[in-house]
Amino acid sequence: MAGAAILELKNLSKSFGPIRAVDDLTFEIHEGEIFGLLGPNGAGKTTTVNMAAGLIEPDGGSVSLRGGGLPADPATRSCIGMAPQALAVYDALSGEENLKFFGTLQGLRGKRLRERVAWALEFVDLVGREKDRVKTYSGGMKRRLNLAAALLHEPPLLLLDEPTVGVDPQSRNAIFERITALRDDGRAVLYTTHYMEEAQRLCDRVGIMDHGRLLALDKVEELIRTHGGTSVIHVDRGRGEERIETDDPMGELVKMHAEGKVLTFRVDSPDLECVFLNLTGRHLRDD
Amino acid sequence: MNPILALAAKDLRILMRDKTGFFFSLIWPLLLAVLFGTIFGGGGDGGGTIPIIVVDEDGTDASRAFLARLEAAPELEVTAGTRTEAVDEVRRGKKSAFVVIKRGFGEAGENPFWGEPPTVELGADPARGAEAGMIEGILMKYASERLKDFFANTTLQQESIAEAKRAVREADDMDPGLRSRFEGFFGALDDLLRETDNLQEADTANAFGNGLGGFTPLEVEQAEIIVERRWPTNAYAISFPQGIAWGLIGVAAGFGISLVSERTRGTLMRLQTAPISRTAILAGKALACFTTTVTLSFVLLIVGRLIFGLRPSSVGMAAFAVVSSAVAFAGIMMLLSVLGKTEQAAGGIGWAVLIMLSMFGGGMIPLFVLPGWMRTVSHVSPVKWSILALEGAVWRQFSFMEMLLPCGILIAVGVVCFAIGARAFDWVQRS
Repeated sequence: MAGAAILELKNLSKSFGPIRAVDDLTFEIHEGEIFGLLGPNGAGKTTTVNMAAGLIEPDGGSVSLRGGGLPADPATRSCIGMAPQALAVYDALSGEENLKFFGTLQGLRGKRLRERVAWALEFVDLVGREKDRVKTYSGGMKRRLNLAAALLHEPPLLLLDEPTVGVDPQSRNAIFERITALRDDGRAVLYTTHYMEEAQRLCDRVGIMDHGRLLALDKVEELIRTHGGTSVIHVDRGRGEERIETDDPMGELVKMHAEGKVLTFRVDSPDLECVFLNLTGRHLRDD
Repeated sequence: MNPILALAAKDLRILMRDKTGFFFSLIWPLLLAVLFGTIFGGGGDGGGTIPIIVVDEDGTDASRAFLARLEAAPELEVTAGTRTEAVDEVRRGKKSAFVVIKRGFGEAGENPFWGEPPTVELGADPARGAEAGMIEGILMKYASERLKDFFANTTLQQESIAEAKRAVREADDMDPGLRSRFEGFFGALDDLLRETDNLQEADTANAFGNGLGGFTPLEVEQAEIIVERRWPTNAYAISFPQGIAWGLIGVAAGFGISLVSERTRGTLMRLQTAPISRTAILAGKALACFTTTVTLSFVLLIVGRLIFGLRPSSVGMAAFAVVSSAVAFAGIMMLLSVLGKTEQAAGGIGWAVLIMLSMFGGGMIPLFVLPGWMRTVSHVSPVKWSILALEGAVWRQFSFMEMLLPCGILIAVGVVCFAIGARAFDWVQRS
């Protein structure tokens, strides 16, 4: 386990009319931890993030920051840095102007503001383009700027809602590296995503939500072990491809090899996507 | 920088960089004001001049003097020309009328006691009957001034009487009795004029006043009084307040939509996670709207003052009207921002509401032209009160107490709309 708890959600509930968006949700995030929140569309991830940021008031339960502060309180809110799923920057302003503006709102002034803006531009690799209007940026650059705006005031908690949507592999990789660096620097990150490989690569712990409820929460390898199911061996022993499910693929392969000729084989180990599908089902979610 | 100022500065910077938004916020209202002011009569004190063309067919000193009188007349815009040109210009609508000073005008004018009177011919555009009547009156006025000059000059009168006596003597077909009476009348008149001259030379003119000095039926003395102007100095005095009102409407709609845009684009979410209150966020937007409307209003008033002859009664009154209007429309902006969940919806609903307010408030057509029931309905439109306040400063010459009603209503509208809008904004955010 990482450091002290910085965000605690206890029995959190929220309804919009007849829809139960979040139902009795409880988890906490610690310093130096990336916490992945996964779920299909409409699972309640964004509502959870918004309640954590104090943007929505929960119907029941509580959110506390750093052991008691309420996110709705402006004084406490400065410990949150949020990068919404939407590109929450102004196209008509330059990257630098955006950062200066958001930094000012966070209470930064003068030299400190300039230093933090310079650091943020450097951190997300936008130096050289900082004077250009954001409308001239690529999707990846806008995503990086969106992240930079959340980091200006050095918040101990980052709420990153789908931070890699619509970016190219290079920008995605760059964003991963930055987030990992922030975690290593002791910050806590709440990371929501649809991309399982991102969560598997980045997150220390993962919570899987559906219909507003938390279905599972653990370290990635534990989730895979518990909910991922068996490995599958695809093998050709001269009789066409066979599909063999097993908990011990190595042992099974050794056994097959001892029994006779193995022409080709491939092992599909369970991953986070298997966990996700096993927990949330395979039917389509269109909302 | 204070967060509210930072928010306002951000919005103003974005507005300045949005060429279309900037054009419709600042330039378009100015163009509207100038365009409609020009269409409805343009500048000039007291409602403008009547363009006429004058043809001098007489060519005498008297006809030239009469033409000079007309050219100097403040009611007329006179150009000289030939009869062909005159008929053509009136026919094509370039002039309201033509006046021909006919041959014999000068000769007839020298003998007011006998013969035909001096004659001018007036040809007017049939579509401008009212102007033709005015021109006829103006011609009579300057002709009578000419007659007045004649009666003020005893030498001219004596020459005219001698000419008349000669004509009576040479009139063979005149009845002898009538001739005798004319000779007696002219002789007595001649004696009277000589007597008057002698009295004036003896400095006893006061006993007779000015003698026959002009047959002035009524001497009107001009008294200096403070004129309470209750009518615009020119058409721009009406079109500029209307232009400002349109600018206020455009700015309110624009900022209302921009607030919706902040919500849909996610920037509002980022603002709300900053350690500032929701009220401060809304106040920042309102301040930007307020600043833009004040700037717009003063730009139009300054352009109107420097180029189009507007004469606001005082800077203080103009500022009072402008600030009150800006407060009202900043509040209205807040209300508009919660009318739709998308930019398109908010824009559509907002413009529909604002156009109705403008139509009933005199933003499209001056209120005094509208039917009585519409003037009554106009009380609910802040556009009406804004225009009234601006007109109060520009040409109605309202006192501070008179300004209190429209300005007070505008400020109240702004505060109430902002409060309702802010509450509704919270509700929209929560839902």
